[in-house]
Amino acid sequence: MRNKKVHITIIIIFIIIVGVSLYYILEKPINLGLDLKGGTQIILRPTEAGGEEVISEKLEAAIDIIRDRIDSLGVSEPLITKDLSNNIVIQLPGVKDPERAKEIIGKTAKLEFRLVKGTFISTKDQTWNLVKFDAEKGELIIDPDAEEVLLVDDINDFINENPYTIIGELLDDPESEEKLLIEYIEEDNQEEDADAEDTSSTGIDPEKIIGTIIYDSGTGELLLTDYNDGSEIGEILVDSRTGAATLAEPALLTGDSLAQAAAGYATNGEIRVTLSFKDEGVEIFKQITTDNIGRNLAIVLDEEIKSAPYIRVPIPDGNAEITGINSLEEAKDIEIVLQFGALPVNLKIEESSTVGPTLGMDSLNKGLYAGIIGFVLIIVFMFSFYKGLGFYSSLGLVIYVIFFWGIISAMGAAITLPGIAGIILTIGMAVDANVIIFARIREEAAKNKSTRTAIGFGFKNALRTIVDSNVTTLITAAALYRFGTGPIKGFAVTLSIGVVISMVISLLFTRSMMFLMSGFSRFATPGFLGIKKGSSE
Amino acid sequence: MLKFRKFYFDFIGKRKIWFIISLVVILAGVAGFLIRGASFNLGIDFLGGSLIEVEFSRDTNISEVRSVISEIGLENAIIQQTEFQRTVSNRFIIRTTPIDSETENEMIDLLDEKIGLTGSPLQDRTVDPGFSKQITRYALIAIGISIIGILIYVWIRFEFRLGASAIVALIHDVLVTVGIYAILNREINTSTIAAILTIIGYSINDTIVVFDRIRENTPLSGRLGYGKIVNDSINITLSRSINTSFTTLIPILLLLILGTTALRDFALALTIGIIAGTYSSICIASPLLVVWNNRFPKYKK
Repeated sequence: MRNKKVHITIIIIFIIIVGVSLYYILEKPINLGLDLKGGTQIILRPTEAGGEEVISEKLEAAIDIIRDRIDSLGVSEPLITKDLSNNIVIQLPGVKDPERAKEIIGKTAKLEFRLVKGTFISTKDQTWNLVKFDAEKGELIIDPDAEEVLLVDDINDFINENPYTIIGELLDDPESEEKLLIEYIEEDNQEEDADAEDTSSTGIDPEKIIGTIIYDSGTGELLLTDYNDGSEIGEILVDSRTGAATLAEPALLTGDSLAQAAAGYATNGEIRVTLSFKDEGVEIFKQITTDNIGRNLAIVLDEEIKSAPYIRVPIPDGNAEITGINSLEEAKDIEIVLQFGALPVNLKIEESSTVGPTLGMDSLNKGLYAGIIGFVLIIVFMFSFYKGLGFYSSLGLVIYVIFFWGIISAMGAAITLPGIAGIILTIGMAVDANVIIFARIREEAAKNKSTRTAIGFGFKNALRTIVDSNVTTLITAAALYRFGTGPIKGFAVTLSIGVVISMVISLLFTRSMMFLMSGFSRFATPGFLGIKKGSSE
Repeated sequence: MLKFRKFYFDFIGKRKIWFIISLVVILAGVAGFLIRGASFNLGIDFLGGSLIEVEFSRDTNISEVRSVISEIGLENAIIQQTEFQRTVSNRFIIRTTPIDSETENEMIDLLDEKIGLTGSPLQDRTVDPGFSKQITRYALIAIGISIIGILIYVWIRFEFRLGASAIVALIHDVLVTVGIYAILNREINTSTIAAILTIIGYSINDTIVVFDRIRENTPLSGRLGYGKIVNDSINITLSRSINTSFTTLIPILLLLILGTTALRDFALALTIGIIAGTYSSICIASPLLVVWNNRFPKYKK
């Protein structure tokens, strides 16, 4: 009989698949998601200064740099991907110090060398204070009672009472919200000048204006711009050691010219990162140090002045160092970020989540426990309600679990916490098709058809219903996969796999089994099928 | 002729009762949302903020935790005591507006100093409010696309009226699930959305089983009337509808009983959704179809 051969072939194919699945289950351990084995996930949004669209080349370059940085942290199996909105999604399993990882990954690492113009101080009652700078808001923090806000060329000379120069004074522009930097008038001339001020309409002599302080909301920078043409003369940066607002000239040399960075200790025990330049960088550095003897050269990392050494003599070999570092670990971090270059875009942390390993393992164990008990209860239910037919669903369910596990292992798909729920849900759904088929078979058998015919009609009538209901589940699983993040994607994958294989098992394996078994009279009695002839469902 | 077991129930005739029950549950949910405000039910995924779960080394309570963290201005945090191994534990979840890592470290150090922690936080999440808008948008898109996808599929396989009735039942299921979450005062997070989407995909199954039978029996409607045909179809497929839902519910209920807090969150939404789905396919979708079809003379007696 041809039909019989087909059924036997199907059964053999299933036995082979079960064998292959068992092989994968034994060979490849299940890959656990971050939320189960513990770890950190960080989602970073790349932004361009001025809010422009980030081009994909830059995004790829940024991902490469991040990958290098993470590798140097020694995290095993990091996963770096992009999401739908081109955010960078980083998964770091079992990372010990998530805060440090966040710090290193998100650092732009923009290194600049800028000449220092001066430092802002405020005076009150014969005393003075440093003017601090809130770099995040781009705001100068000025004591509201301050008498004068002055720009001093060398703050160290000023503190140590060495000769210094007051370059300018900060005043409110009466015509706008901005502040103006005005050439400072020595006290001797003040009375004379005060008269002049009274006569002018604005109170400020335009000749004496050095520039306007303007906040650029696009880049978040506080700039000193030319009063007439608006071009940039300097930028106010925060000195990381004192928090002082420091006016620096535009960058003369950047991290692009850097050849190497190395963290270590100086001979005096100070922690430092030594920098060496590429050939053209050496030339530029030599030129800067030759032309600006007696000035301070600020080493700026991510818009923060790390140190501003005094240039005594020209430096011909192009070696510099960053000091003012609090710990060796921070020095190492700087080394890492400088080594792989600056990120071509700014990155903003959109979401970060860290899960300890205990919380996830607990869920995994509880999930397994629920799954096993659920499995047993379903089998008990199927036997008690569908009598002998329960045998087929039990067999189908066992094969289902082996298949499912095998496919997950073979794919290397990660099981996430929602994924566990997905697996448990599909165990329940896997017998749905059986219920539909069995109910139909009983109905057909009740019309006094032979068992074999009843099975045939039962499957035929149930087929459409089963396909329809599974397709709708797949539609939602696809939407979940497309629009979900991380763990939710894992859920969508487990749900889809479960739906597809449970359908294949019911429609092929269970069907062939039932046809073959019904050849034996023991398996074709009304008692086995749990029906009374002549009655309907 | 169709024959039945002893059990035969007039589902269609009692449709007004079903409609009222559903309406009451949904309205109660809406009221719950309005009274407490959405911020109480929506997790940080949708509103942005920081969430940290810590375990204390001694017994403590919410007000003590609150008084400690109010020292650094976090008195408005939402604090929950979580369960572990089915018993109240010394684990607490603290939800705040987004805080930077410095403030967070300060908070952890303070809690450790004043109450004592067993170790580093069990979990620690921060979602930027801007990013949460993106998550919300994607969640709504996913739900929308699923519903439209299913409408199109059911429309192709059956006919538009059946598809539309099925979709009303689906929306009903989503509203009931969200509504009961509001009534129970449970947090809605991305897992809840995943559960709702699963419900959308799953609860249509029961509707399809019933509709399949209705379609099969429709040629008989000339003699018996459409309402009778629909009611017969419901009754004939009733044990199947209940059994499929029941077998799916078995492991989900176990997860609800045995699982951890996170798993139970997921299982609860699925449980409500599966029950609502079976109910709606029988008591909402089918009666709706009758109401709709009775307006068309083709199916009238």
